[in-house]
Amino acid sequence: MASWSQLEAIKTAKVLMVGAGGIGCELLKTLALSGFQDIHIIDMDTIEVSNLNRQFLFRQSHVGQSKAKVARDAVLKFRPHISITPHHANVKDPEFNVDFFKDFNVVLNGLDNLDARRHVNRLCLAAGVPLVESGTTGFLGQVTVHVKGKTECYECQPKPTPKTYPVCTITSTPSKFVHCIVWAKDLLFAKLFGDKNQENDLNVHPSAGTNSTNPTEDVFERRADEDPEQYGRKIYDHVFGYNIQVALANEETWKNRNKPRPVYVRDVLPDKLIQQNGSLEKNCVTEESAVSAMSSLGLKNPQDVWSLAENSRIFLEALRLFIEKRQKDFGNLAFDKDDQLAVEFVTAAANVRASSFGISLHSLFEAKGIAGNIVHAVATTNAVIAGLIVIEAIKVLQGDFQNYRMTYCLEHPSRKMLLMPVQPFEANKSCYVCSETPLLLEINTRTSKLRDFVEKIVKNKLGMNLPLIMHGSTLIFEAGDDLEEDVAANYALNLDKALAELPPPVTSGTVLTVEDLRQELSCNINIKHREEFDEEKEPDGMVLSGWVTPTEKDTRVVSNGESTSTAQLAEKSDEVETAPDRSGTKRKLSEMSEMMDNIHDTKPCSSLDIGDQLNPQEVEDNGDDDDIVVLDESPGPSKRKKLQ
Amino acid sequence: MAAESKTKYDRQLRIWGEQGQAALEKASICLLNCGPTGSEALKNLVLGGIGSITVVDGSKVEAYDLGNNFMLDEESLGQSKAKCVCSFLKELNDAVKAKFVEESPDTLIETNPSFFAQFTLVIATQLLENSLLKLDKICRQANVILVVARSYGLTGLVRISLKEHNVIESKPDHFLDDLRLHNPWPELKQFAKTIDLSVTDPVVHKHTPYIVILVRLAEKWADAHDGCLPSTRQEKKEFKDLIKAHMLNLDEDNYKEAIEASFKVSTPRGISSHLCQIINDAAVQVDSTSPDFWVLVAALKVKSFLLLVFKVPPLISFVL
Repeated sequence: MASWSQLEAIKTAKVLMVGAGGIGCELLKTLALSGFQDIHIIDMDTIEVSNLNRQFLFRQSHVGQSKAKVARDAVLKFRPHISITPHHANVKDPEFNVDFFKDFNVVLNGLDNLDARRHVNRLCLAAGVPLVESGTTGFLGQVTVHVKGKTECYECQPKPTPKTYPVCTITSTPSKFVHCIVWAKDLLFAKLFGDKNQENDLNVHPSAGTNSTNPTEDVFERRADEDPEQYGRKIYDHVFGYNIQVALANEETWKNRNKPRPVYVRDVLPDKLIQQNGSLEKNCVTEESAVSAMSSLGLKNPQDVWSLAENSRIFLEALRLFIEKRQKDFGNLAFDKDDQLAVEFVTAAANVRASSFGISLHSLFEAKGIAGNIVHAVATTNAVIAGLIVIEAIKVLQGDFQNYRMTYCLEHPSRKMLLMPVQPFEANKSCYVCSETPLLLEINTRTSKLRDFVEKIVKNKLGMNLPLIMHGSTLIFEAGDDLEEDVAANYALNLDKALAELPPPVTSGTVLTVEDLRQELSCNINIKHREEFDEEKEPDGMVLSGWVTPTEKDTRVVSNGESTSTAQLAEKSDEVETAPDRSGTKRKLSEMSEMMDNIHDTKPCSSLDIGDQLNPQEVEDNGDDDDIVVLDESPGPSKRKKLQ
Repeated sequence: MAAESKTKYDRQLRIWGEQGQAALEKASICLLNCGPTGSEALKNLVLGGIGSITVVDGSKVEAYDLGNNFMLDEESLGQSKAKCVCSFLKELNDAVKAKFVEESPDTLIETNPSFFAQFTLVIATQLLENSLLKLDKICRQANVILVVARSYGLTGLVRISLKEHNVIESKPDHFLDDLRLHNPWPELKQFAKTIDLSVTDPVVHKHTPYIVILVRLAEKWADAHDGCLPSTRQEKKEFKDLIKAHMLNLDEDNYKEAIEASFKVSTPRGISSHLCQIINDAAVQVDSTSPDFWVLVAALKVKSFLLLVFKVPPLISFVL
């Protein structure tokens, strides 16, 4: 198939694959069949049952084992004489530093989260190694090529970070089901089963400021002798009844909104059914592994939308089962989409809350998808994308830069093409990652603390994992475990100070330098003081700008969605973060840039839904024979230039 | 569906739902020649939970197959290729029924055409044209879908051959907004007449609902054009200009909406010839074996007018 020079390039290439999942399995297979002989794979995950519909190198018997290792073993079976080195580790670990990356001729990403992708992007830039990026969601996919000095880097077009919601929307005025899920998962579940010392907005009252000994604090504490069922009913009444009633008292909030309805156990579940619940339980023998409220209540189908009464029963039963079977994990439990009982609890809680607020209820299947950031996925798209990755990789190895392409895999043909190749653009001159342009941060320097800056800007927006921050020649903060005690103590003090109170003070006009040594990324930020921020539009209370801001339609990332670990990063003190939520808009096939809306955001579909697919409106056949689609510039501030 | 398979298929259930999954699990596939292309195709179907597969291939595994087909390894040498591919696929998903026939597909096509009638779909790879032509005839007669695939290096082709394929969208992606502007009903016409388009008060002017603007201006146009509505590109552009000419100033949202929606005035009346063809098709004489699609069309035909479902879109400038 390949020409002689291609074969040579392939035979001698040393390739790094990051990710051995959906794309990774197909990619490893294709690389091996194409003649590659020296492949390294990094993947920190283990195999799960839900992988088996597409990650074909794995079998049922491999569940729980390392993906990187099992993938390697499977491929060596049909190509025994090639070298595949698995690394069962996190690509962000220090061992994978710039020197490690420098060893490779090309890096191929098959990741499922933005954070790792940015990290790899920076290391590839620092090491001067070309990167082939990719992503898939359902039937959509894409492959992009990033070569330093020749094309855009992965971050030249900023990718949106996961959607966050204002605190008040979650705690007081939900209007969509996803708000209820976030409440159930990050507030209620966390409050009951998670770290007790974490700040939790569950008891936020509009009339905060009363200095009573806060009797509500005791509601969530269960006394050792308190009957689990009674405790459950107490919690139910508190969060769905009492809290709503208190919220209703604040007239302002409800002036332009529909008022919620408080819900109490006695209204939804008449007494005798509760007793029946008890006797049902005694008849069921639940083994450790099959702890499920659904099974003990006989609700078999996760795609059914339960009634308020059924949801309430599930809520109470799940809570009871948590107490009776999982007590020892209390204080440590984080929501895990593969934890059946947790999913049941969160579904039920979200539904009861939704019912209160007049929001439509959802099935467990749907709720699980939202709460767990589940991305729909199928084998064929991954196979196609893997093939495209290898094609681009071979071009990269030969330095054939005229022929590099970004390729988009559509669900329905546009202009009779299912795969749309696009020429890469030149690097964005104002990309802070590859072009070292300074950024601008508007922030209230008198009220915002250094800690807020570090968490929201440096770590979240800039994606730096081990940052250090300099103000002129003074180090005002450094992350790391290996700091000396007095130095670390000093930084801890700094974190709690407002920016304007730091030594030396950070005020309007200050330039801060933020660095991550591991990523070899350094960035200057100009600080500008601003008093007020819009709570809805700017929930962070600070605004970072200076590189190309994407227009709504400009984002063209198709990725495998976030793994649950990143969704749990939400321990920000005044914000609750959640799964990106798919906007569900339909797009015209004729508009390239709209097509690739960030499908990073997903919404699971109900059993009858075919999901949020590109709308197959009439496909215009205007007889174009172009095999390269020239992107129409979406109206954005930058003029991106094609590669010459 | 058992709980374990629900977990295993979770990610794809979120694409095609239980109905899609059921359709997959009911289907039986026949693969002719299990070279790399055919094997890869089956791998994807098997992973998805296809009902059953039958692999037809008369060849044995040779050295040149190794490293070319990831389902074969050194232990397969000398064995029936179909058998080896089948057993690999069985491992991939043991819920799939897998059978193999150690026979050349050309021979089967020649000597046992009725073999193919049992399948939902046949995937034919590495076959030459004369075999394909015969196979196509056989499949059409037996109402079996035929998919032909060939691949050479970096090029390839896939071709589908089937008599008829009908789909009923139980949940269409969107509803077409149909405001009946090309043929407004009497009460709408009356209402539109009560509104004075040329009112001078700018606030009232910018609150005239855009539908009224369109109804009135369409009428005005028709009066000047022999009762016809704008139909050519040029006419549609002129119609837009007509609307623009009525704007008092540039920020009138209602007129902007009217311009954006102006094409709705040009919606052709009646039913398209394409639709007529379907309604008048012989298949509309339904019987108990007819697919649901034709039953629905037959029902539509019985009605003397088409029932169109339409949604009234929100109007930015509508004032009650």
